[in-house]
Amino acid sequence: MNGIHDLGGMHGLGPINPEQNEPVFHEDWEKRAFGLFAATFVFTGYTVDEFRHYIEKIPPAHYLEGSYYEHWLYSFEGALIKYGHITRDELDARIAQLQSGGH
Amino acid sequence: MLLTPEIVPGLVATGASARVAHHVAPRFRVGDRVRVRNHNPDTHCRLPGYLRGKLGTVEQDYGVFAFPDTHAHNLGEKPQHVYSVRFTARELWGPSSPDRDTLRVDVWDDYMDLD
Repeated sequence: MNGIHDLGGMHGLGPINPEQNEPVFHEDWEKRAFGLFAATFVFTGYTVDEFRHYIEKIPPAHYLEGSYYEHWLYSFEGALIKYGHITRDELDARIAQLQSGGH
Repeated sequence: MLLTPEIVPGLVATGASARVAHHVAPRFRVGDRVRVRNHNPDTHCRLPGYLRGKLGTVEQDYGVFAFPDTHAHNLGEKPQHVYSVRFTARELWGPSSPDRDTLRVDVWDDYMDLD
């Protein structure tokens, strides 16, 4: 699909400035997101291409504002919902719970 | 399938590589002039949009990989060769581009035809 992920050759996005001595992870939660790739790969049986397709389906504005591992998280959610491990309602309820200060 | 500790290192090292062991004849050889198809599905594909319709030269054959368009949608591996294809900046971005600049892109067999 020719969505916002296909940024190659697009004007106006500014220079690419690689971070000096970039750490593997910028936030602690990113370590858990990385680990979830192996877990969801095994549980759902999806392919790396299907993993990428869920990232393509991120709403365009969210895609541009989201970080690398946020994209991964969005993909895991898509796969876990598709394969019936969680429902959209369960995910939304959990997000609401966390936003209201719950654990 | 359960996630066990011995699965993890291989998965992390390869990034769940889509390379497959099938023997499939390549459709192109190094040096072939190829035209990228105007391929624009609303499903998954790994052809950068800026390559559609462009003319390039095959530089290297990487071997056989699963085809993203089918593999992403549970439609099988459709194993085929992936190549490094060289495009001139002028072919991609027009006559204002530097005339010595080139770009190499990994392109699947099914995304192109002999020119």
